[in-house]
Amino acid sequence: MPVDSPPLSSSPLVLDSLVTPELPASECPRRARMQIDLLLLAIEALDLGGGEAMLAAARDLSLNELVRGRVHLWLLRSTNPMRRYSQRRPLSLEEAKALVVIIANLARRLTVLTRQLLLGYQQLTEKQLSLEHHFRLADYLTRFRTHFRSRMNPRRAGVIAYSTDDKLDDLAIQLLEQLLLCSGVLGSQRLWSSLFDGEVL
Amino acid sequence: MTTQRQYTLPNCNLIVEGMTTDANDPASPLSVVMNVECQLPGATDATLTGGREFLDHLVAAVSLYAQQLLSGVPQPIQAVAESPPMITMKPGEGFYHHLIVRDQAKDTTPTDAEAIAPLDVRLSTVQFHDLMEAIDQLLADTLTLPDLQPQFQSISRRQVKPSEPAAKRAAPAAIGAAALAAAGLAFFFVPPPEFEPSQSSPDSDTPAETTDTGLTSPPGTSAEDAITPETEDLPPTSEPGTDDTTSGDINPDEDAPEAGLEDSEATPSAADAAAAVDRLSSAPAITDAATLTLLRDDLRRTLANAWDADSRPEEDLEYRVAVAEDGDILGYKYQDSAALEAVDNTPLPALAFQPTDDTAPIPEAVAQFLIRFTPDGEVEVEPTGNSASSVREGAVDAPADSTTATPLADTAELSAIEEPIADRTTLEALVRTLRRDIADNLDPLSANQDLTYQVRLTADGEVVGYAPVDAESGLLAAETPLPELVVANGTEGEVADFRVVFTEDGVIQVSPWEGWPQ
Repeated sequence: MPVDSPPLSSSPLVLDSLVTPELPASECPRRARMQIDLLLLAIEALDLGGGEAMLAAARDLSLNELVRGRVHLWLLRSTNPMRRYSQRRPLSLEEAKALVVIIANLARRLTVLTRQLLLGYQQLTEKQLSLEHHFRLADYLTRFRTHFRSRMNPRRAGVIAYSTDDKLDDLAIQLLEQLLLCSGVLGSQRLWSSLFDGEVL
Repeated sequence: MTTQRQYTLPNCNLIVEGMTTDANDPASPLSVVMNVECQLPGATDATLTGGREFLDHLVAAVSLYAQQLLSGVPQPIQAVAESPPMITMKPGEGFYHHLIVRDQAKDTTPTDAEAIAPLDVRLSTVQFHDLMEAIDQLLADTLTLPDLQPQFQSISRRQVKPSEPAAKRAAPAAIGAAALAAAGLAFFFVPPPEFEPSQSSPDSDTPAETTDTGLTSPPGTSAEDAITPETEDLPPTSEPGTDDTTSGDINPDEDAPEAGLEDSEATPSAADAAAAVDRLSSAPAITDAATLTLLRDDLRRTLANAWDADSRPEEDLEYRVAVAEDGDILGYKYQDSAALEAVDNTPLPALAFQPTDDTAPIPEAVAQFLIRFTPDGEVEVEPTGNSASSVREGAVDAPADSTTATPLADTAELSAIEEPIADRTTLEALVRTLRRDIADNLDPLSANQDLTYQVRLTADGEVVGYAPVDAESGLLAAETPLPELVVANGTEGEVADFRVVFTEDGVIQVSPWEGWPQ
């Protein structure tokens, strides 16, 4: 039997595991928007083709409806208030779910690299050596600093807190740990739940 | 049958032993957990073992701590339960984390010595990740323990400790309330402004009216009310109620000063009026000598009438006043401190014009005079500044040297002819008589325009008063024969007003003021 109308668009199945939290407003809180964008920034710093990988992951996870191409992804990420060209548009919970699933998906692919970098960081710290001794780690940190400074508004109070290289390095390592933690089988759910700490009613 | 499920990661080995629900299928889910072992190679040699309770605590502790690492929001401080949780996790220095295990099951612990003391395992982030991942795999494995579901719950707003202490958060509100209270207290002592409707001082004498002088008062009014001195140079010789053809300063009537003083309570402050004078300094000055003379006489008469003679000063009070062309006192300024203190005893505050807009420039021309209230109760008016010269020129040669006082009358008195002469024949005779009298005494006039006067005659043909109708006429009244013709006998009986015009060509025109009776 031919079908005249397309099937009703429902939220993709991969998002079903993420429970919609009880928020005062049906949009993403400020800290969640910042955290999502920073994790994506860390992925870009880890992987040179991170931007393309995000779009590819969105296609693979059939999240095309929620993340419609490069510009739309940029719009979604620009809901981060720290951004230089921060968008006033809200980030809906569905869009946030899609981004969280993409982050978890990419983090899983990058697990090996993440572990290497964290182990290297651990060893260098224990030996009290500077982080430049680990080529891959220094590469990641440098790229993260460049990305951060080129995209974040330096006049925002949240960005001023990361004015020095050391502080940015700490942020990059912290994001690396968080990427590792959400790379597991339940990583997306853990990340999703953590985004609303202190926000749910 | 007993089966064993193992979740192996580089830094963590989690083994769950239990009984399968289906004895014949080793892959079926576990129904009973018999033993749980958790080995953390690289972190500790000890093997953490326990039963289902140990597993539940481990899952809860690791989940909470992982969420804390991801969100940065610290775990809510757990209410003290009946027993402290078997396993807790705390952040350590740097990138280390501490897994603290209490109440280790004694019989299965290989190191009995550590049974009592809590076991503290230091984990790096990667090691913790492996532990968490092993637990996640167990949670996600529906074939091992289906009843062990992942419980992810975000920390609610109430459980989050505010980032700032309550005192610090309450400080802005407290400061605001205190400031409001202080402001309220301060304004409590400020008296509420009293609304006082400002009345512009009525100045009943306009130039047109001041020129309508020369007529004696109608019956019922004392004569001296209508009398105003002509010049201040002459001593006050005339007595009130006597012949008013003599000139001289007339003391204001001490018994009837109320005229025009009803609103004297609307007293503006001296500062306002003083400011007004300063403001007027930029206004154009009146230079016409005739107008200045009239204004001066008008001002003196107005002040003398309005001055409450009970409040005579101890010394001379001098003020500088600015007078508009219509006779309004636009402003005044004291000349010394004594004048400032006694300003309320003078009629100036009541008579000064109250501008509605203090800042607007005065477009009209003004004349400035120096007035002096003497202890004798006299009001002296002198022109000042650029007005002075022109006034003196005009004043000296024409009216000032006249020996005839110009009786002044108010509008009300002018129109109050109680018994007008209505007989045409009588009027014709009066016209003839008046023209003859004038012509007999007429000297050549210096006027270069027509001079018009209103002249009041009795039925007997005697002139009892006259009034110039314009400034030029008033100035040159002394040149006309009219002052000499005035006979100040009683004003009883019938009177009639006539218009007398001295044309520029020397022709005398006399006609009844109200026109010929029909």
